[in-house]
Amino acid sequence: MSASTHSPVLKHHFGDLGQQHASERLGMWMFLATEVLFFAGLFGAYACYRLWYASEFEFASAFMNLKIASINTVLLVTSSLTMTLAIRAAKLGNKSGLYTHLLLTFALGTGFMVLKGFEYAHDFHESYLPGEGTFVHSNMQTEAVARGLDTGKVRLFLCFYYIMTGIHGIHIVIGLGCILWLVQQAYANKIPPENYSTVEVVSLYWHLVDAIWLFLMPLLYLAGAHLKVGPH
Amino acid sequence: MANPHTTPATATPPAAGHDTHGGHGVIGHVDSPGLLFVVFLVVIGLFAANVAMSTSGALGKYTLFAQLAIGAVQATFVGLYFMHLRHGDKVVVLTALASVFWMGILFVLFMSDYMTRNRVMG
Repeated sequence: MSASTHSPVLKHHFGDLGQQHASERLGMWMFLATEVLFFAGLFGAYACYRLWYASEFEFASAFMNLKIASINTVLLVTSSLTMTLAIRAAKLGNKSGLYTHLLLTFALGTGFMVLKGFEYAHDFHESYLPGEGTFVHSNMQTEAVARGLDTGKVRLFLCFYYIMTGIHGIHIVIGLGCILWLVQQAYANKIPPENYSTVEVVSLYWHLVDAIWLFLMPLLYLAGAHLKVGPH
Repeated sequence: MANPHTTPATATPPAAGHDTHGGHGVIGHVDSPGLLFVVFLVVIGLFAANVAMSTSGALGKYTLFAQLAIGAVQATFVGLYFMHLRHGDKVVVLTALASVFWMGILFVLFMSDYMTRNRVMG
Protein backbone atom coordinates (compact mmCIF):
# COMPACT_ATOMS: atom_id res chain seq x y z
CA MET A 1 0.00 0.00 0.00
CA SER A 2 1.29 3.47 -0.83
CA ALA A 3 1.20 6.75 1.05
CA SER A 4 -1.66 7.88 -1.17
CA THR A 5 -3.97 5.23 0.32
CA HIS A 6 -2.93 5.80 3.95
CA SER A 7 -2.94 9.59 4.20
CA PRO A 8 -4.97 11.19 7.02
CA VAL A 9 -6.45 13.63 4.48
CA LEU A 10 -7.88 10.77 2.37
CA LYS A 11 -11.67 10.74 2.67
CA HIS A 12 -13.16 7.31 3.25
CA HIS A 13 -15.17 7.15 0.02
CA PHE A 14 -12.12 7.59 -2.24
CA GLY A 15 -9.73 4.80 -3.19
CA ASP A 16 -6.62 6.99 -3.07
CA LEU A 17 -5.53 10.62 -3.03
CA GLY A 18 -5.14 10.79 -6.81
CA GLN A 19 -8.80 9.89 -7.24
CA GLN A 20 -9.80 12.32 -4.47
CA HIS A 21 -7.93 15.24 -6.05
CA ALA A 22 -9.28 14.47 -9.54
CA SER A 23 -12.83 14.34 -8.17
CA GLU A 24 -12.45 17.63 -6.29
CA ARG A 25 -11.08 19.36 -9.39
CA LEU A 26 -13.81 17.97 -11.63
CA GLY A 27 -16.53 18.95 -9.15
CA MET A 28 -15.26 22.53 -9.02
CA TRP A 29 -14.96 22.71 -12.82
CA MET A 30 -18.55 21.53 -13.20
CA PHE A 31 -19.64 24.30 -10.83
CA LEU A 32 -17.53 26.79 -12.82
CA ALA A 33 -19.28 25.66 -16.02
CA THR A 34 -22.61 26.71 -14.45
CA GLU A 35 -21.02 30.04 -13.48
CA VAL A 36 -19.83 30.58 -17.07
CA LEU A 37 -23.38 30.01 -18.32
CA PHE A 38 -24.80 32.28 -15.61
CA PHE A 39 -22.54 35.16 -16.64
CA ALA A 40 -23.08 34.29 -20.33
CA GLY A 41 -26.73 35.28 -19.89
CA LEU A 42 -25.67 38.69 -18.57
CA PHE A 43 -23.04 39.16 -21.28
CA GLY A 44 -25.57 38.11 -23.92
CA ALA A 45 -28.17 40.62 -22.71
CA TYR A 46 -25.49 43.32 -22.64
CA ALA A 47 -24.26 42.42 -26.15
CA CYS A 48 -27.76 42.62 -27.55
CA TYR A 49 -28.49 46.10 -26.16
CA ARG A 50 -24.97 47.32 -26.89
CA LEU A 51 -25.49 46.47 -30.57
CA TRP A 52 -28.96 48.04 -30.58
CA TYR A 53 -28.08 51.20 -28.63
CA ALA A 54 -24.36 51.57 -29.40
CA SER A 55 -24.26 55.39 -29.17
CA GLU A 56 -25.95 55.57 -25.75
CA PHE A 57 -23.91 52.69 -24.28
CA GLU A 58 -20.59 54.15 -25.48
CA PHE A 59 -21.60 57.59 -24.21
CA ALA A 60 -22.52 56.31 -20.72
CA SER A 61 -19.38 54.16 -20.55
CA ALA A 62 -17.25 57.29 -21.03
CA PHE A 63 -18.47 58.50 -17.61
CA MET A 64 -17.30 55.38 -15.77
CA ASN A 65 -14.12 55.67 -13.69
CA LEU A 66 -11.44 54.15 -15.95
CA LYS A 67 -8.63 54.95 -13.51
CA ILE A 68 -10.11 52.95 -10.62
CA ALA A 69 -11.13 50.12 -12.97
CA SER A 70 -7.58 49.92 -14.35
CA ILE A 71 -6.05 49.76 -10.87
CA ASN A 72 -8.62 47.10 -9.96
CA THR A 73 -7.65 45.05 -13.02
CA VAL A 74 -4.00 45.08 -11.94
CA LEU A 75 -5.00 44.15 -8.37
CA LEU A 76 -7.13 41.23 -9.55
CA VAL A 77 -4.59 39.82 -12.03
CA THR A 78 -1.87 40.13 -9.37
CA SER A 79 -4.10 38.29 -6.91
CA SER A 80 -4.42 35.46 -9.45
CA LEU A 81 -0.62 35.24 -9.57
CA THR A 82 -0.30 35.14 -5.76
CA MET A 83 -3.08 32.53 -5.56
CA THR A 84 -1.23 30.29 -8.03
CA LEU A 85 1.96 30.80 -6.02
CA ALA A 86 -0.02 29.72 -2.93
CA ILE A 87 -0.82 26.38 -4.63
CA ARG A 88 2.86 26.00 -5.47
CA ALA A 89 3.81 26.66 -1.84
CA ALA A 90 1.18 24.14 -0.67
CA LYS A 91 2.56 21.47 -3.03
CA LEU A 92 6.11 22.10 -1.82
CA GLY A 93 5.07 21.97 1.84
CA ASN A 94 6.17 25.60 2.30
CA LYS A 95 3.76 26.66 5.07
CA SER A 96 5.03 30.23 5.44
CA GLY A 97 4.89 30.70 1.65
CA LEU A 98 1.34 29.35 1.57
CA TYR A 99 0.32 31.61 4.42
CA THR A 100 1.97 34.69 2.89
CA HIS A 101 0.52 34.20 -0.59
CA LEU A 102 -2.97 33.52 0.73
CA LEU A 103 -2.84 36.70 2.83
CA LEU A 104 -1.49 38.66 -0.15
CA THR A 105 -4.35 37.35 -2.30
CA PHE A 106 -6.83 38.32 0.41
CA ALA A 107 -5.32 41.81 0.68
CA LEU A 108 -5.41 42.34 -3.10
CA GLY A 109 -9.02 41.13 -3.31
CA THR A 110 -9.99 43.37 -0.40
CA GLY A 111 -8.24 46.28 -2.13
CA PHE A 112 -10.37 45.60 -5.20
CA MET A 113 -13.58 45.79 -3.17
CA VAL A 114 -12.48 48.91 -1.27
CA LEU A 115 -11.74 50.72 -4.55
CA LYS A 116 -15.05 49.46 -5.94
CA GLY A 117 -16.72 51.01 -2.89
CA PHE A 118 -15.05 54.38 -3.61
CA GLU A 119 -16.12 54.08 -7.24
CA TYR A 120 -19.76 53.39 -6.31
CA ALA A 121 -19.67 56.29 -3.83
CA HIS A 122 -18.45 58.62 -6.60
CA ASP A 123 -21.14 57.32 -8.98
CA PHE A 124 -23.83 57.88 -6.34
CA HIS A 125 -22.51 61.37 -5.63
CA GLU A 126 -22.65 62.25 -9.35
CA SER A 127 -26.17 60.73 -9.62
CA TYR A 128 -25.01 58.14 -12.17
CA LEU A 129 -27.97 55.99 -11.19
CA PRO A 130 -30.52 54.20 -13.40
CA GLY A 131 -33.54 55.68 -11.60
CA GLU A 132 -35.00 58.59 -13.59
CA GLY A 133 -35.67 60.70 -10.48
CA THR A 134 -32.01 60.89 -9.49
CA PHE A 135 -30.47 60.66 -12.97
CA VAL A 136 -32.04 63.98 -14.04
CA HIS A 137 -29.66 65.75 -11.63
CA SER A 138 -26.51 64.31 -13.25
CA ASN A 139 -24.19 65.94 -15.78
CA MET A 140 -24.56 62.70 -17.78
CA GLN A 141 -28.25 63.56 -18.33
CA THR A 142 -27.41 67.12 -19.41
CA GLU A 143 -24.76 66.01 -21.90
CA ALA A 144 -26.93 63.18 -23.24
CA VAL A 145 -29.77 65.59 -23.98
CA ALA A 146 -27.34 68.04 -25.61
CA ARG A 147 -26.13 65.27 -27.90
CA GLY A 148 -29.65 64.19 -28.77
CA LEU A 149 -29.29 60.77 -27.11
CA ASP A 150 -32.15 58.79 -25.54
CA THR A 151 -31.61 59.11 -21.77
CA GLY A 152 -33.67 55.97 -21.16
CA LYS A 153 -31.12 53.94 -23.12
CA VAL A 154 -28.27 55.67 -21.25
CA ARG A 155 -29.90 54.62 -17.97
CA LEU A 156 -30.22 51.07 -19.33
CA PHE A 157 -26.41 50.97 -19.55
CA LEU A 158 -26.27 51.98 -15.88
CA CYS A 159 -28.60 49.07 -15.04
CA PHE A 160 -26.12 46.69 -16.69
CA TYR A 161 -23.21 48.44 -14.99
CA TYR A 162 -24.62 47.98 -11.48
CA ILE A 163 -25.99 44.46 -12.02
CA MET A 164 -22.82 43.09 -13.67
CA THR A 165 -20.30 44.74 -11.34
CA GLY A 166 -22.55 44.02 -8.35
CA ILE A 167 -22.83 40.30 -9.08
CA HIS A 168 -19.10 40.17 -9.81
CA GLY A 169 -18.46 41.94 -6.49
CA ILE A 170 -20.59 39.38 -4.64
CA HIS A 171 -18.43 36.65 -6.20
CA ILE A 172 -15.31 38.46 -5.01
CA VAL A 173 -16.67 38.65 -1.44
CA ILE A 174 -17.49 34.91 -1.49
CA GLY A 175 -13.96 34.22 -2.79
CA LEU A 176 -12.47 36.34 -0.01
CA GLY A 177 -14.43 34.31 2.54
CA CYS A 178 -13.06 31.07 1.05
CA ILE A 179 -9.51 32.45 1.13
CA LEU A 180 -9.92 33.42 4.80
CA TRP A 181 -11.06 29.86 5.49
CA LEU A 182 -7.91 28.59 3.70
CA VAL A 183 -5.78 30.87 5.90
CA GLN A 184 -7.40 29.35 8.99
CA GLN A 185 -6.83 25.83 7.60
CA ALA A 186 -3.18 26.63 6.87
CA TYR A 187 -2.75 28.09 10.36
CA ALA A 188 -4.20 24.88 11.83
CA ASN A 189 -1.72 22.78 9.80
CA LYS A 190 -4.56 21.17 7.86
CA ILE A 191 -3.03 21.76 4.42
CA PRO A 192 -0.11 19.34 4.08
CA PRO A 193 1.34 18.87 0.54
CA GLU A 194 -0.98 15.93 -0.22
CA ASN A 195 -3.98 18.15 0.57
CA TYR A 196 -2.97 20.96 -1.85
CA SER A 197 -6.18 20.44 -3.84
CA THR A 198 -8.09 22.29 -1.10
CA VAL A 199 -6.17 25.41 -2.15
CA GLU A 200 -6.51 24.52 -5.83
CA VAL A 201 -10.32 24.33 -5.88
CA VAL A 202 -10.63 27.74 -4.22
CA SER A 203 -8.05 29.12 -6.65
CA LEU A 204 -10.06 27.83 -9.63
CA TYR A 205 -13.05 29.85 -8.43
CA TRP A 206 -10.87 32.91 -7.83
CA HIS A 207 -9.30 32.70 -11.32
CA LEU A 208 -12.74 32.44 -12.95
CA VAL A 209 -13.85 35.59 -11.15
CA ASP A 210 -10.64 37.22 -12.43
CA ALA A 211 -11.30 36.00 -16.00
CA ILE A 212 -14.86 37.37 -15.90
CA TRP A 213 -13.49 40.79 -14.89
CA LEU A 214 -11.20 40.71 -17.94
CA PHE A 215 -14.39 40.84 -20.05
CA LEU A 216 -16.35 43.23 -17.80
CA MET A 217 -13.54 45.78 -17.96
CA PRO A 218 -13.65 46.44 -21.75
CA LEU A 219 -17.44 46.12 -21.99
CA LEU A 220 -18.25 48.57 -19.19
CA TYR A 221 -15.23 50.89 -18.91
CA LEU A 222 -13.56 50.89 -22.34
CA ALA A 223 -16.65 51.04 -24.58
CA GLY A 224 -16.58 54.85 -24.63
CA ALA A 225 -12.91 55.43 -23.82
CA HIS A 226 -12.38 57.10 -27.23
CA LEU A 227 -15.13 59.70 -26.64
CA LYS A 228 -14.23 63.16 -25.38
CA VAL A 229 -17.03 63.37 -22.83
CA GLY A 230 -17.47 62.72 -19.14
CA PRO A 231 -14.76 63.12 -16.49
CA HIS A 232 -11.81 62.31 -18.84
CA MET B 1 -8.94 -0.58 -2.09
CA ALA B 2 -7.09 1.74 -4.42
CA ASN B 3 -8.80 2.97 -7.56
CA PRO B 4 -7.31 1.01 -10.51
CA HIS B 5 -7.66 4.07 -12.78
CA THR B 6 -5.36 6.30 -10.76
CA THR B 7 -1.64 6.00 -10.28
CA PRO B 8 -0.51 5.60 -6.69
CA ALA B 9 2.10 8.20 -5.81
CA THR B 10 4.08 9.38 -2.87
CA ALA B 11 3.42 12.70 -1.13
CA THR B 12 7.05 13.79 -1.49
CA PRO B 13 7.21 17.40 -2.78
CA PRO B 14 8.73 17.42 -6.28
CA ALA B 15 11.16 19.86 -7.85
CA ALA B 16 9.68 22.90 -9.59
CA GLY B 17 8.55 22.42 -13.18
CA HIS B 18 8.25 18.63 -12.89
CA ASP B 19 5.42 16.12 -12.69
CA THR B 20 5.14 13.37 -10.15
CA HIS B 21 3.61 10.21 -11.53
CA GLY B 22 1.45 11.82 -14.20
CA GLY B 23 -1.79 13.80 -14.07
CA HIS B 24 -3.31 11.79 -11.23
CA GLY B 25 -0.22 11.97 -9.03
CA VAL B 26 -0.70 13.18 -5.47
CA ILE B 27 1.26 16.39 -6.00
CA GLY B 28 1.11 16.72 -9.78
CA HIS B 29 2.88 19.47 -11.69
CA VAL B 30 4.62 22.23 -9.75
CA ASP B 31 4.78 25.56 -11.58
CA SER B 32 7.98 27.47 -12.04
CA PRO B 33 7.58 30.98 -10.49
CA GLY B 34 9.38 32.47 -13.52
CA LEU B 35 6.81 31.06 -15.93
CA LEU B 36 3.91 32.27 -13.77
CA PHE B 37 5.44 35.74 -13.64
CA VAL B 38 5.83 35.80 -17.44
CA VAL B 39 2.14 34.84 -17.82
CA PHE B 40 1.23 37.60 -15.35
CA LEU B 41 3.20 40.14 -17.42
CA VAL B 42 1.54 38.94 -20.64
CA VAL B 43 -1.96 39.36 -19.16
CA ILE B 44 -1.11 42.82 -17.78
CA GLY B 45 0.54 43.78 -21.10
CA LEU B 46 -2.57 42.74 -23.03
CA PHE B 47 -4.67 44.81 -20.66
CA ALA B 48 -2.47 47.87 -21.32
CA ALA B 49 -2.76 47.23 -25.08
CA ASN B 50 -6.55 47.01 -24.72
CA VAL B 51 -6.72 50.35 -22.90
CA ALA B 52 -4.42 52.03 -25.46
CA MET B 53 -6.35 50.63 -28.43
CA SER B 54 -9.74 51.57 -26.92
CA THR B 55 -8.67 55.08 -25.95
CA SER B 56 -7.26 55.85 -29.39
CA GLY B 57 -10.39 54.58 -31.16
CA ALA B 58 -8.15 53.63 -34.08
CA LEU B 59 -10.12 50.51 -34.97
CA GLY B 60 -13.46 52.33 -35.22
CA LYS B 61 -16.41 49.92 -35.40
CA TYR B 62 -14.09 46.94 -34.94
CA THR B 63 -13.00 48.13 -31.48
CA LEU B 64 -15.55 46.00 -29.61
CA PHE B 65 -14.46 42.81 -31.40
CA ALA B 66 -10.79 43.62 -30.80
CA GLN B 67 -11.51 44.27 -27.10
CA LEU B 68 -13.29 40.93 -26.73
CA ALA B 69 -10.55 39.12 -28.68
CA ILE B 70 -7.93 40.52 -26.29
CA GLY B 71 -10.13 39.51 -23.34
CA ALA B 72 -10.42 35.98 -24.76
CA VAL B 73 -6.63 35.68 -25.14
CA GLN B 74 -6.16 36.93 -21.56
CA ALA B 75 -8.74 34.43 -20.26
CA THR B 76 -7.02 31.65 -22.22
CA PHE B 77 -3.70 32.44 -20.53
CA VAL B 78 -5.42 32.48 -17.13
CA GLY B 79 -7.12 29.15 -17.91
CA LEU B 80 -4.06 27.38 -19.26
CA TYR B 81 -1.48 28.53 -16.72
CA PHE B 82 -3.21 29.80 -13.56
CA MET B 83 -6.06 27.26 -13.68
CA HIS B 84 -3.68 24.52 -14.88
CA LEU B 85 -5.79 23.43 -17.83
CA ARG B 86 -2.63 22.58 -19.79
CA HIS B 87 -1.92 19.85 -17.23
CA GLY B 88 -5.59 19.06 -16.57
CA ASP B 89 -7.26 15.67 -16.81
CA LYS B 90 -9.10 15.10 -20.10
CA VAL B 91 -12.47 15.19 -18.37
CA VAL B 92 -11.62 18.56 -16.77
CA VAL B 93 -10.56 20.04 -20.13
CA LEU B 94 -13.73 18.63 -21.66
CA THR B 95 -15.84 20.27 -18.93
CA ALA B 96 -14.15 23.64 -19.55
CA LEU B 97 -14.61 23.37 -23.31
CA ALA B 98 -18.23 22.23 -22.87
CA SER B 99 -19.04 25.40 -20.91
CA VAL B 100 -17.63 27.54 -23.73
CA PHE B 101 -19.48 25.45 -26.33
CA TRP B 102 -22.84 25.83 -24.54
CA MET B 103 -22.20 29.55 -24.16
CA GLY B 104 -21.65 29.65 -27.93
CA ILE B 105 -24.99 27.95 -28.54
CA LEU B 106 -26.66 30.46 -26.22
CA PHE B 107 -25.15 33.42 -28.07
CA VAL B 108 -25.79 32.13 -31.59
CA LEU B 109 -29.44 31.29 -30.94
CA PHE B 110 -30.58 34.44 -29.21
CA MET B 111 -28.42 36.82 -31.26
CA SER B 112 -29.83 35.32 -34.45
CA ASP B 113 -33.24 36.35 -33.12
CA TYR B 114 -32.47 39.80 -31.67
CA MET B 115 -30.19 40.90 -34.51
CA THR B 116 -32.65 40.05 -37.27
CA ARG B 117 -35.91 41.37 -35.77
CA ASN B 118 -35.79 44.68 -37.61
CA ARG B 119 -34.63 43.24 -40.91
CA VAL B 120 -37.08 43.76 -43.76
CA MET B 121 -37.28 40.63 -45.93
CA GLY B 122 -38.06 40.50 -49.64
